Amino acid sequence: MMSPTTLIRRIAPALACIGLLAIWQVASLVLKNDSFPTAIEAIKAIPDILSDRESLINILASLRRMAMGFGAAVLFSIPLGLLMGRSRAVAAFFNPLLMVIYPVPKAALMPIIMLWLGVGDVTKTLVIFLGVSLPVIYHSFEGAKGVEEKMLWSGAAMGLSPLQRLVRIVLPAALPEILTGCRTGLVLALITMITSEMIARQSGAGNILFNALDMGQYDTVFAMIIVVGAMGICLDAIFERIRARLVRWSEPQFDMPLSFS
Amino acid sequence: MILRLISANVILGLAPIALVIASWQGLVSFGFAPAALLPPPGHVFGRLLQQLVTWTFQLEIAATLIRLFAGFAIAVVLGVSIGIAAAASPAINAAVRPIVRVLAPLPKVALYPALLLLLGFGHGSKVTLVAADALFPILLSTYYGASTVEQKLIWSAMAAGTPRYEILFKVVLPAAMPSILTGCRIGLVISCIVVFLAEMITSTDGLGHALVTAARTFQAVDMFVPLITISLLGLILNALLGAVRSYLLRGFPEA
Amino acid sequence: MKVVPSRSSEWVRPVTPQKPASAIIEIDGVSQVFQTSAHKDHVALSDISLTIDEGAFVSILGPSGCGKSTLLYIVGGFVRPTSGVAKIKGAAIIAPGPDRGPVFQEFALFPWKTVLGNVMYGPRQQGVRAAEADAQSRSLIEMVGLKGYENFYPKELSGGMKQRVALARTLAYHPEVLLMDEPFGALDAHTRTRLQNDLLNIWERDRKTVLFVTHSVDEAVFLSDKVVMMSKSPGRIRHVIDIDLPRPRRRNELLLDPRYQKYVVDIERMFDESDGAGFPA
Repeated sequence: MMSPTTLIRRIAPALACIGLLAIWQVASLVLKNDSFPTAIEAIKAIPDILSDRESLINILASLRRMAMGFGAAVLFSIPLGLLMGRSRAVAAFFNPLLMVIYPVPKAALMPIIMLWLGVGDVTKTLVIFLGVSLPVIYHSFEGAKGVEEKMLWSGAAMGLSPLQRLVRIVLPAALPEILTGCRTGLVLALITMITSEMIARQSGAGNILFNALDMGQYDTVFAMIIVVGAMGICLDAIFERIRARLVRWSEPQFDMPLSFS
Repeated sequence: MILRLISANVILGLAPIALVIASWQGLVSFGFAPAALLPPPGHVFGRLLQQLVTWTFQLEIAATLIRLFAGFAIAVVLGVSIGIAAAASPAINAAVRPIVRVLAPLPKVALYPALLLLLGFGHGSKVTLVAADALFPILLSTYYGASTVEQKLIWSAMAAGTPRYEILFKVVLPAAMPSILTGCRIGLVISCIVVFLAEMITSTDGLGHALVTAARTFQAVDMFVPLITISLLGLILNALLGAVRSYLLRGFPEA
Repeated sequence: MKVVPSRSSEWVRPVTPQKPASAIIEIDGVSQVFQTSAHKDHVALSDISLTIDEGAFVSILGPSGCGKSTLLYIVGGFVRPTSGVAKIKGAAIIAPGPDRGPVFQEFALFPWKTVLGNVMYGPRQQGVRAAEADAQSRSLIEMVGLKGYENFYPKELSGGMKQRVALARTLAYHPEVLLMDEPFGALDAHTRTRLQNDLLNIWERDRKTVLFVTHSVDEAVFLSDKVVMMSKSPGRIRHVIDIDLPRPRRRNELLLDPRYQKYVVDIERMFDESDGAGFPA
């Protein structure tokens, strides 16, 4: 049986969406700007985009690149971060390099990588990979660094080799922190994807946005914003479910999404 | 002993950076990459120094910095005040929480076309985009810090005769400061990145625009220069914020 | 739910809320119920009545979880009781105020302020001029034995020193009642005895009313005029014992005093005998 307060808490995000759309609707009616369609007009344009074969292929291709970039980044970053967290030397080796790379806008590397590898999938996937890696490395590093020393001693006493300790003690112990990093990375993957497509202007969801803008199809622009926003919210919500399941044993950390952290 | 340890770490840390530059040079020197695609590092850094003293390039930097600071400042003011308010008042919390839940994972850059339509192609749209992106990490860490302030700090201040509304400024805000500054640090890097991207997507000036201009004419050297400049700006601003942080948090453990 | 004192002897008297002329704090039928989960209540305090005389050093002694800290927080005005009322000088306590100064086990010093800044906070909040507050605070810091540490931050001090600062910070705004919540609970045994001695020395100068929560029998007997023994689940007063030992008390004399030893042994025995809610080993 759900109590009224839990019910309200469950549907609160939906209410917030409706509220935001309502504010949009009112604002556009008040402003009466030609280039600012109402929320309802924008929502009406969504089916057109999703039923158009070419844009659907575009969007799905974007998502595929995003999944590949994200997956590769996670597979690469978690082991690196864990090693950095457990070995001072590895951390001292990589930290300065990562600090220098940190403020580089990854999507801005697009034109340079395009110069080398062309405008293909490899370039775009590589940029997403770069965007996702840093937060995942950072959080894995922090998670591994925070693992209780005595837990590892117990493991060593039980006869686990260093590699076994890393996989069977450090990895699960750092998992809550790692997943926080992955969640940030997922949102970043989407952002990098959209941004790189906006810069390359060749295909994908970001390209649809700016093509529509250039052609003055303003309701398509806003409809596409809703689509991309929904993707972000859904991906985050799905990931949060998986995360909550995987780390049920850990204390509930924080119930607002900590994007970017 | 400690000094030697630190210097060993510094050498270890500089090694990969030196390695990257060396292999970069190697790629060019041994002809694996044509200089048109990958200019040698000496050439790039020379060009950077040469550009840094020219008036036009300084104007680009200034344009970028103005947008960056304006957006970041708005994000700090909004983020800290909303975060504190959400931690202090259950009513505000109930309203803010679901909205943040929806807006935080939304890729803000997707809003950029809408901002262009509403605010035009000038500073306004870019500053707003920077603020929107930097806002959430600052808001969330402020909220986190403010809602985990030790109860007994607040009780101690109340017993000393502090009225409720003053508690917010005299206890909650300073106690949440470590967390707030962590959020600001993240927000600052995001600001650097976003302002550059926004200028790349559409702009008539700024460092991002300089990169795009160079890319259109396939001037590889000039593509590297703005990228390195924005990264240096990021590092410098980060270091400045670090200095502010260690001053403000001088009383806190592990600051 | 009534307070039923189990036995009485010459120094164990039943709890009868009486009202002497000099009562400063009166706790009248206070109960505290916490909701632990959806439909489960936890009775932390059950019908507590207690009167504390002005200038008395009263310890509340009991096992962990008996609600003794909660009782202190109610007197502090930090927690509102579920039922009943606590009064200071006849006025119901509804909020914290500078007439009741807390000292917590966790020190709760402001990490962003120096030792001096922490101690000056109360007087400044009371509207004392900066120069005057500065001078007062410095002499208080000297009194608690921290002269020379005025500009240190709390993180640079040991636990015992932090608790001295916390005591000075509270004394600085001249509360009429000191509320001490296991103040020496987080300290090592040696520091603990030193702080107990120093607290007694300071207290014996101006005899402020002190309400002192502890789970240490020795500490309670050594410091107090009166020991209130509580049992848990639900938290109730079992006995109120007057400690009739001479003051000023000197630790080295007292430990050898058979009367002191008898108080300690008797109180420990009473905890052992009481309804299974034994004293923590």
